[in-house]
Amino acid sequence: MFKAIFANLPFLAALLVFLIGFYTMLTHSNLIKKVMGLNIMETAVFLFLLASGYVGGGSAPVIRAGTKTYVNPLPSALILTGVVVGLSLTAFALSLVVKLYKYYGTVDADEIMRLRGKDE
Amino acid sequence: MNHLPILIILLYLGSALLIPLLAGRFSSRWLAVAAAALALILSGLSAWHVAEGGTYSYFFGSHSAPFGVEFAVDWVTVLLHLTINFIGLAILVYCNKEIDFAIQSWFYTLFLLLMVALNGLVMAYDLFAIFLFTELGTLTACALVAVKPKALCVEAAFKYLILSTLGSGLILLGISLIYMATGNLNLGALGATLPSAYTIYPWNIRIALSLFIVGFGIKSALFPLHIWLPDAHSASLTPTSAIHSSLVVKIYIIAAARIIFQAFGDSLISVLPLPQVLLLLATFGIFAGSLLAMLQTDIKRMLAYSTVAQISYIFLGIGLMTKTGVMGGLLHVINHGIMKSLLFLAAGTIIAKTGSRKIEDLSGMGYRMPLTMTVFSIGALSMVGIPGFSGYVSKLYLAFGAMEAGKPLFVVIILLSSLLNAFYYLPIVVRAFFSPGRHNFTWDGLSWQEAVPMLALAAVTIYFGLLPGVLVNLAKMAAAGWLN
Repeated sequence: MFKAIFANLPFLAALLVFLIGFYTMLTHSNLIKKVMGLNIMETAVFLFLLASGYVGGGSAPVIRAGTKTYVNPLPSALILTGVVVGLSLTAFALSLVVKLYKYYGTVDADEIMRLRGKDE
Repeated sequence: MNHLPILIILLYLGSALLIPLLAGRFSSRWLAVAAAALALILSGLSAWHVAEGGTYSYFFGSHSAPFGVEFAVDWVTVLLHLTINFIGLAILVYCNKEIDFAIQSWFYTLFLLLMVALNGLVMAYDLFAIFLFTELGTLTACALVAVKPKALCVEAAFKYLILSTLGSGLILLGISLIYMATGNLNLGALGATLPSAYTIYPWNIRIALSLFIVGFGIKSALFPLHIWLPDAHSASLTPTSAIHSSLVVKIYIIAAARIIFQAFGDSLISVLPLPQVLLLLATFGIFAGSLLAMLQTDIKRMLAYSTVAQISYIFLGIGLMTKTGVMGGLLHVINHGIMKSLLFLAAGTIIAKTGSRKIEDLSGMGYRMPLTMTVFSIGALSMVGIPGFSGYVSKLYLAFGAMEAGKPLFVVIILLSSLLNAFYYLPIVVRAFFSPGRHNFTWDGLSWQEAVPMLALAAVTIYFGLLPGVLVNLAKMAAAGWLN
């Protein structure tokens, strides 16, 4: 039992971080915190993918004399792309928050809903 | 090997970059229209190639699978490329009055980048390529909603962005679970290895599949996950609403269906309770979408909720897991795309001229704006599924698919929901032509840029309704390619 948990520790950690991000994103009414939750969630997925590419005792996938085992380079390459996508999403989300702040004068989702209700 | 598939994408990508650079010298809109027209010609050529030489796979830089990135050019790809580029062209020709603010050239850049995502997503044959095109689609689609300088649009875009990113996170987690179990990302290679991997890692694959369904479900507004759609589709600019409702939501279904049929395959689908889940969600969506649409007083909101119902028809077709059902789903992707863009363009024209978004203000509109209201009625009748319009053909094949799957209950559901559609579409048509209305707006006629796209879309709706033979045959070949 403990052995199984220990062997899968990175995956369990990734799952935990994912849930934290998920929870933050859905329950916090502060828009910036929502964006933070989004980032935490993405990071968890990256950790998960990275852990799946790890080979015990392997070194970085650069061919050098004397090294025999390497970690799987594909997940790292995928994450590199994922990080770029995540960065652009975060930048865009924050720019929307700035715009919303200009319109409503607040970054609180509940407050925005209230102000919207008053308009209609 | 011909390079047409990649040329379509490069054409849009190049034009998207060129438009802001040439903004001062050429009309951004006509450059975008030229790019879409050229892409339509290229997809026509690509269709001709497939008709002559059969379906083929395109490999980037000639690196063969499973090492290179693969594009599948099958009948589904060809049909959807034609649909996407045709509707895109019609919408771009229509884009005129509303987009007169400072960021004009950037609007077209975003639009063309969205076209890159749509064209790429229908042929991506690699889980990671699917993920990337999905993200590109999400980002550009949200940005297009946020383009309109209005608080409601920015808010809708933020809600859409948060929920779609949640969806992307789930999809990426699903991809990593599949990669852990098989060490492959190419759909063809997965099709060969997943059944044996399932015996070793059943939970990895089950969880991955449910993550894909939820992830793509959010992006394509499958019923309980549709909450972002009404705001995003109704608040934005008319061209944005039209492309979102007619194409963007559906392309994610195509991507999900490609993963289901080509990576998971028959042997795994028969083990997992996937069809039951899809059919249940689709049934809920069909009724809930229609009932919510009935409650709306805003014409664009009503059209948006109607999209939720129509999306569920496509999920129903895929959930039936028979050739005719999938074929009906594909036909509905195409037919609904054409008629929904027609409806949004017509509704947008009326809103722009009268300044009112209320459904009740459409009374008597048939006399004031006869052409616009006639094409709106063609779209509405097709949406209800009156014989002679294209909506009837796709619903007919969905019903055939339900019979083929031995589930006659779904024929009843399709009939009942058509009745519900009639409840909210027909009164608009009847009141527009047969009841008086008070309108005090000056009517200066339609410009040809507004009239031609609507007439073209209406003509295609009627053509596919009266002579569906060619389209039905192509869809049959497309479905046969997916379900061996």
